[in-house]
Order: sequence, then structure tokens, then C-alpha cells
Amino acid sequence: MPAKPVVKRLPARKGLFAGFKGNVDAITIGLKYLVDPKRFTLIYPNEYIKLDPGYRGFIVLDPKKCIHCSSCARICPAAAMRMIKRMEEDPKTGKPKMKLWPVINYQRCIFCGYCVDVCPTEALYTVPYHDIVYENMAEMDWSLETFVKPPEHPTAKEGIPVKYIVDEEKGLVKVRAEEVEEK
Amino acid sequence: MSVWVYGEQKSELGLEGTITRKLEEDLYEVFIGPQHPGSGHMRIIIRIDGDIIVEADPDMGYVHRTMEKLSEGREWIKNVPLFERMAIHDACNVTVSYVMALERILGIEPPPRAKYLRTLLCEINRIAAHLYGFGIFGVFIGHSTMYMWSFADREVMVELAEKLTGARLTHSYPIPGGARRDMPQDFPQAARKAVRYFRRRLDEYRKIFLDNPVTRKRLEGVGIIPKKIAAELGVVGPVARASGIKYDARLAEPYDAYDEVEFEVPVYEEGDALARAWVKFEEIKQSLRIIEQAVDWLEKHPREAPIHERFWAKAPPLWKKVFEAEGRVKLLPLMANLKLPPGRAMARSETARGEIVYYVESDGKTTPYRVRIVSPSARNAIVFKYIAPGYKVMDLPTIYGSIDYFPPEADR
Repeated sequence: MPAKPVVKRLPARKGLFAGFKGNVDAITIGLKYLVDPKRFTLIYPNEYIKLDPGYRGFIVLDPKKCIHCSSCARICPAAAMRMIKRMEEDPKTGKPKMKLWPVINYQRCIFCGYCVDVCPTEALYTVPYHDIVYENMAEMDWSLETFVKPPEHPTAKEGIPVKYIVDEEKGLVKVRAEEVEEK
Repeated sequence: MSVWVYGEQKSELGLEGTITRKLEEDLYEVFIGPQHPGSGHMRIIIRIDGDIIVEADPDMGYVHRTMEKLSEGREWIKNVPLFERMAIHDACNVTVSYVMALERILGIEPPPRAKYLRTLLCEINRIAAHLYGFGIFGVFIGHSTMYMWSFADREVMVELAEKLTGARLTHSYPIPGGARRDMPQDFPQAARKAVRYFRRRLDEYRKIFLDNPVTRKRLEGVGIIPKKIAAELGVVGPVARASGIKYDARLAEPYDAYDEVEFEVPVYEEGDALARAWVKFEEIKQSLRIIEQAVDWLEKHPREAPIHERFWAKAPPLWKKVFEAEGRVKLLPLMANLKLPPGRAMARSETARGEIVYYVESDGKTTPYRVRIVSPSARNAIVFKYIAPGYKVMDLPTIYGSIDYFPPEADR
């Protein structure tokens, strides 16, 4: 069923009291929200949003699953992911062997999640948080040792987890994360 | 001294080299922007006689990022996150036509489920972008309540988009052959709640903003673009539809699921700033209808990977396992170095600000030979030059806000 164009007319302003009614309507609505405000301010960092598991946050590597295929580095649109060479002992032969490992530079990452989706063994995964602060730029260029474990999430230690849920009456409402999970 | 109206200006557009003109003595030249809070990253040079704008000259290009040239050095799929940067709050709408052009060169058609998912995100983005436009419009004309309200309510749509794609703004959602994720289980419920909330809320918007006598006085009869001139200037989107032109890319060439869902394209004939605000307002209502229909369709039909067989039939079992568990469509490693057959394609889609057109040319390599983008804001910017003269300086923010000009999209 294709769309159809519909010609509409602007609502007319007729009568002596049209302007008066408009003013009263606007002021009434304003007063309504003055008495009963619709606020959902996040008191950060005393509170923090507990994001859904599907959220594309920081990307972490599971070294046990990685097959060193370089797919993630090839698909990265921002050239944040790159492969580094490491000499490692081959478990079968016991001889040193060159291996490629991905490392990520969070100065460049745009969190598109292509690398996570392209990884043939699901060795890359996202953690559902993104509020991590670095003191300098160099720290954001992760080494392999940093990349293999989920980054520390400092706000989760101090803050109260909250969630925003869509509500029919108020739009978005802020609730404690535990209350949502109970349901 | 003459007011530079449309007819007179046109005669001076001959290609006779640089036109220099003597500034009349009693004209003031005012530079609005690029740091002016009311203009974003662009500058409008206006010449005023007292309080009346005599001449307006939009000076664009402050956020030009050579996007068309950059795209020639990147693989096909990597351009999706790049082109998103044109209008990040309207991400799906601006990239879906690029992806459609790629699909035309590849000769594939996405499955219906992918089409509906894209349409769903497109409409979520459209509402979010219109609310963003309303917010900026409101604060331009000093109505800060509208700014606060629409930015708060936009958050509802951003939240829905986050549920669907995993990212608040730069979703990178469409990929050649389909979409990247299926909707999560709790999405339909949240979407329906949001739709019902907006239906009620829009009535309040009308009362406090559109029907408010203070706002109406500032919008009515300002920046009138007659139908004939709108067609000649080539404006698109809500600006054209407010002038009585029945044109919409969804109407002219239905893409994705737009030929299956039922909706109206609101058209007004007044052509002033108020009509443009009403077009956007009515469009939000129609977008809500489309969201409802898309969610219903997606719920009724079985969950299957929203991607073309070519990228799914030979996928390993892990791909299917991840899709069933998380609804995430994993990409085949060939996506990184996807080779398109030589050819050229054109595709267009309707973004919140109007029609965006992509011309894509491939010479059989992994990167594009040429991508040409015509973005809606670039086509609407001409309004400043021809429509603003003759109005008061105070009306310039109204004209700016009503055409919803977005510099990063125009400059690209």
C-alpha cells in the first residue's frame, strides 16, 4: 500500500478570543509541569546507567578463542585495530613461533562493532559500559595485556545502578536496576 | 537602494566573472556566525538597511571533511560509518540509500525482514531528528521550553534505537544485503509504549508551541516560499512540502518497506515558517504509525536472519547460534574486502530534512571509484539567499530554524 500525499490546512485562528484561548492553553500546560515536573536526571556518578548486554561498549579479546586471522583489523573502519607480532612457544612442538595478535587503540575506535561481528570465533566481545576515563592519550592505546581482560569500571563500584524504561505516561522513567530485573 | 528579491537577483547570475559591487553607504554588513550561537558552523553575511535584510549570503563549508574523496580510499562497508557522520542523529536515513546503491550494483535484494527493520530504524531516526530540529527551532526564537521538552522526548527515541542496534547514535545499522541486528524480545512492548506516549505528548507540543499565540505571531507569514519558486530553487523535504509540492522520496520511489506500510505525506500550501513547523509535526505522527505497523509485522513473522542468502547460506554454525542467542547478524570475513562488479548505481532516500541522493560507481575493486552525495541541507541552504531578503533581522533565526539547516550534512 503506497503512501499518499494529503494536503492539509493550517488551523485557523478565528474569533475574538482565539489568542486568549491559546495563551490560556499554553500557560495551563506550563503550570501543570511546574507542579508535577517530568524529570529523569541521572545523578552521575552517584548513579550510573546499567546498560543492556547488547550495548556496544568497550571491546575485549578472549585470547583462548583467537585464531590470529586478522579479520578484525581488516574490517576496522577507523584503523583502530591492528595486528602485532609476538614470538610464542608452540604447545605442540615446543619451538618458538611467530603469532599475530590484535590490539586496539581507543583513541581511534568509533565503537561500530564490526570487529565483534566479523570475528569467526567470537573471540571479541563487548562489555556494556563505556564511561572509563584515561589520564593521558597513550593509555588509550591498549597493549595486548590490557586487551585480554575487561577494563575496570570504576563507577560501578561506587554508584547505584539505574535503568531507564519507556513509560506510557511519562516517556522515560528512571528506576533502580534491581526492580527491572525482578520483573 | 533596492531590496534583493528573487526576480532581480536572477538576472545577475550570468557567468561574467567575479561580480563586484559597491556597498551603499547606509547599509550595514552583519556577519552572523560561524561562532554565533544561532547559526552552527556556518556564516550568513547579511546587509541590512535599518532592520530589513537587503541581501543575505550563506557562507558554507566550515565543516567540510572531503567525505566523497575519503570514501574512495576505504572499502565498501567501511563507508557506512563514514557517511553516518554527516548527520549522526539521522544515521540510518542518511546511510540506507548508500547501502541500497551497493545492493543495486551487487544485484541483490534484502529479505523482507531486513527491509522492515531498516524502515523501523529510519522512522525512529526521523522522529528523533525532527525533535532535534524542533528543539533548535524553539531555542532560536527564544522558546526554551520547547528546547528542553523535545530534547528530553528525543531521548525516548534514542533509547529505542539503542535497544535495537546497541548504539545511541551512530548505529551503522544497514549493511549490503540486510541489517545488522534483529530486534530484542522486549522491543515491541517498549516501542508501543513510546508510540502511545508520543500521541498524547504531541497534543501538548501543539498547545505550548505551535498554537501558542506568541510563537504563531513570530512564524506566521515569515519566510514565505511560493510553490513556483520552491520548485525553481530545488528545495526538498519539509521545506518543499510546506510550499505545496507533493514530493517525497518515499512517495516517488518507495524503498525498503515503504511500499507496504500505510502512511500519509502531509503537504501544506502556505509556504511560511509555520507551515514548515506543521509539516514536521504531522510527519512525526505518520512516523509513529509506521513504527507501529513495522513492529506488528516483525512480531508476526518468524525470526530469521535479516540478511541476504549470499552472506548467510554458507555461514558456519556459530553464525546461526549467535543469531538465535543474541539476534546479532555476524558478518562473513569477506565483507571486509567485498568486491563489487563494475557498474554504477543511484539511490535515494528521504531523510528528516529531505531527499539524499547517492551516485556510486564501481570499477570492480574493493573500494569505490566515485561516490557522489547530494545532501538535503545543501539544497535547502539556497533559501537563505533568496528568501531572507525583505524580512527583519529578527526573522532570520525563524527562517534558519524552520528550514532546519544542518551544516555537517550540507558541507559533508
